[in-house]
Amino acid sequence: MRFLMTTKPTDAAPDEKLFAEMGAFIEELTAAGVLLATGGLEPGGVRLVSSGDEITVTDGPYTEAKEAVAGFALVEVRSKEEAIELARRFRRIVGDGESIVQQVFGP
Amino acid sequence: MAVPDVHRTIDAVWKLESAKIIAALTGIVRDVGLAEELAQDALVAALEQWPESGVPDNPGAWLTAIAKRRAVDRIRRDGRLERRHEQLAHELRQSGEAEPADDRDDVLRLMFVSCHPVLPTEARVALTLRLIGGLTAAEIARAFLVPEAVVAKRIAVAKRTLAEQRVPFELPAGDQLADRLSSVLEVVYLVFNEGYSATGGDDLMRPGLCLEALRLGRLLAAAVPYEAEVHGLVALMEIQASRSAARTGPSGEPVQLHEQNRGRWDQLLIRRGFTAMLRARECGGPAGPYVLQAAIAVCHAQAPTAEATDWGQIATLYTALERLLPTPVVRLNRAVAVGKAYGPQAGLDLADELTADPALRDYHLLPSVRGDLLERLGRTEEARLEFRRAAALTRNAAERAFLDRRAGALPAAAASPAGPPPAVLGTTARAFLDRDDLDAATVRSYGQTLRRLRLALGDDLPLGSLTADRVAGVFAAAWGTAAPRTWNRHRAAVRSFGAWAALDDLAAGLDRRPEPAGRTAAITPEQLERLWARPDVAGRERVLWRLLHESAASVRAVLALDVQDLDLGDRSARTGGTRVVWRSGTAQLLPELLAGRTRGPLFLTDRRPGPGRAAAPADLCPETGRARLSYERAERLFKLATRPLDPAGEGWTLRMLKPRR
Repeated sequence: MRFLMTTKPTDAAPDEKLFAEMGAFIEELTAAGVLLATGGLEPGGVRLVSSGDEITVTDGPYTEAKEAVAGFALVEVRSKEEAIELARRFRRIVGDGESIVQQVFGP
Repeated sequence: MAVPDVHRTIDAVWKLESAKIIAALTGIVRDVGLAEELAQDALVAALEQWPESGVPDNPGAWLTAIAKRRAVDRIRRDGRLERRHEQLAHELRQSGEAEPADDRDDVLRLMFVSCHPVLPTEARVALTLRLIGGLTAAEIARAFLVPEAVVAKRIAVAKRTLAEQRVPFELPAGDQLADRLSSVLEVVYLVFNEGYSATGGDDLMRPGLCLEALRLGRLLAAAVPYEAEVHGLVALMEIQASRSAARTGPSGEPVQLHEQNRGRWDQLLIRRGFTAMLRARECGGPAGPYVLQAAIAVCHAQAPTAEATDWGQIATLYTALERLLPTPVVRLNRAVAVGKAYGPQAGLDLADELTADPALRDYHLLPSVRGDLLERLGRTEEARLEFRRAAALTRNAAERAFLDRRAGALPAAAASPAGPPPAVLGTTARAFLDRDDLDAATVRSYGQTLRRLRLALGDDLPLGSLTADRVAGVFAAAWGTAAPRTWNRHRAAVRSFGAWAALDDLAAGLDRRPEPAGRTAAITPEQLERLWARPDVAGRERVLWRLLHESAASVRAVLALDVQDLDLGDRSARTGGTRVVWRSGTAQLLPELLAGRTRGPLFLTDRRPGPGRAAAPADLCPETGRARLSYERAERLFKLATRPLDPAGEGWTLRMLKPRR
């Protein structure tokens, strides 16, 4: 089963310790064959809105930046509980904030 | 959190952490079995405490700490070898305080132990899934479709073997590493294949096992990044797994590679496979079997359409692979690739070389591949036969249905001129066995022989195509190395079948094999008296048995006698170059058997010949139309009649009637 964990941005600036812990965590999950892909996302990005025949393209940033996604991790695990457990560990490292875990179907 | 949720969380934590915990404990107590027991104790503690206290912040560390404490308790309680335990306890405290060692190396050591060559393969698989994958015996049993008790026993025996053989918890030294590593890779790939091409059951795939194998492989690649074959195996598995969604159709039937919707291939896994392949190449050295197989998988993954596949390159890779790994399956795959690259005839030539290989006699893909090549050559009748055979051989229901459909989809043969459909092997064999005059033991014995023939040649094989050559080929593959007695038993069955179905010389290519001496002991005079005294024996049998005993001639020569060969006054006959002489016992019985006949075989069957071609004229009685009694039939009747007399309860052979000298 694959799960995508997305994380919302926070105001807190990451410190050295967080970088080191995250690095170790990512390396461990990669080595264990659990983490398939991960990355951070630029704030804002480009927004496309389609309405009728029209597609509007707008550059960020936006006021709803808090609702955007700041980073993601795609994991392959045996159960939803495993995905949640990994997300818990991640949250413990990064501190206050919010992540969402969703099962991925397909391709 | 509700209690069931906690239990599922604990299970998830356990599966994520157990390998590390067990590996760390094995490093301390040096016994995999004990380490696993201690880790299980910690798991029990978690099941008791976490529903009350909640899941701790670092559940893995919690479990490890508890397990280590149990280890110390256990050592104190056992109370033997005081000083050694003091030292161990000290080490334990030390290791508990020190920075966590590189647990990846410990897990690697654990893998080398669980895949150790002292264990049989299925034990390696079970133990690896148990210790590294964190699966329960029940989960392993479900995945491999065996009873849970069997898996539990395998694991228990494996742990005991490891302890008894004092298998060390270490990374093998340089020159041993390659060998030991290949044992680990074999286990991982076996798990993958069990999941990918489930050998039994109704599902074509058991994805859980594929995932488990992928994880083991990735773990291994991180632990021994300098070994090309590890990356090769990972690349192979990633790319094969990328096709999972595309290789089954809507109703679970298999979809062949060239018909798969490549849009459903998982590009993420393909990409990961390519990356692993690059790592393998960076390691350098000559390409090993996994790297070569991965290279073949890469070729397929790179082709945007099936038609664009570089079959020439794949055939070349298979040729290289065959040199390293000349297994029948690799050779069969090479035949497929060559068939695609250089035409069906070239592929069929290679595939035909494999039909005599005993290892492939039950392998459904051989007839399936041959069927495919034959179909492309326009030999649809043979192709249909091969697809039906493949369907009969596979244990997988979805695959069987698919093969039957392929057979059914072939255009029917050109309408033959009016007349009954030609007799085929399957129905004829069934009719042969389904007779009233065969006892259960014979049906079982003949049935084994015919089952093999039917599997090897196909139920739809026309009797006209059932030649001695083909029978000889089946025999060589199936029983070429069997004991002479087994060979002769199957040979006798074929001869009996051939005689019944009027197929001349079906066993012509099968020489009778000499059985170890001492088996043809003579019958004692007392036993003979009881035999002659039996009231329920037919006249023909009485004459035959008496004649065999009195003349001491060979069974074959006696059965070959014709009425016109007999000189009743001289009590002798001449057949071929042999002179057969009898005494008063036979002489008294003969006139009744002859019943005025002047020509034709002396011993006749009591039934009309079976379907198919008629017997040779020399073997037919011109007066009654009956055929000459066959050796098999005569032998069987004698065996049945003498069963009550034989202390062993088996019955005797006609050759035993020859008096002892």
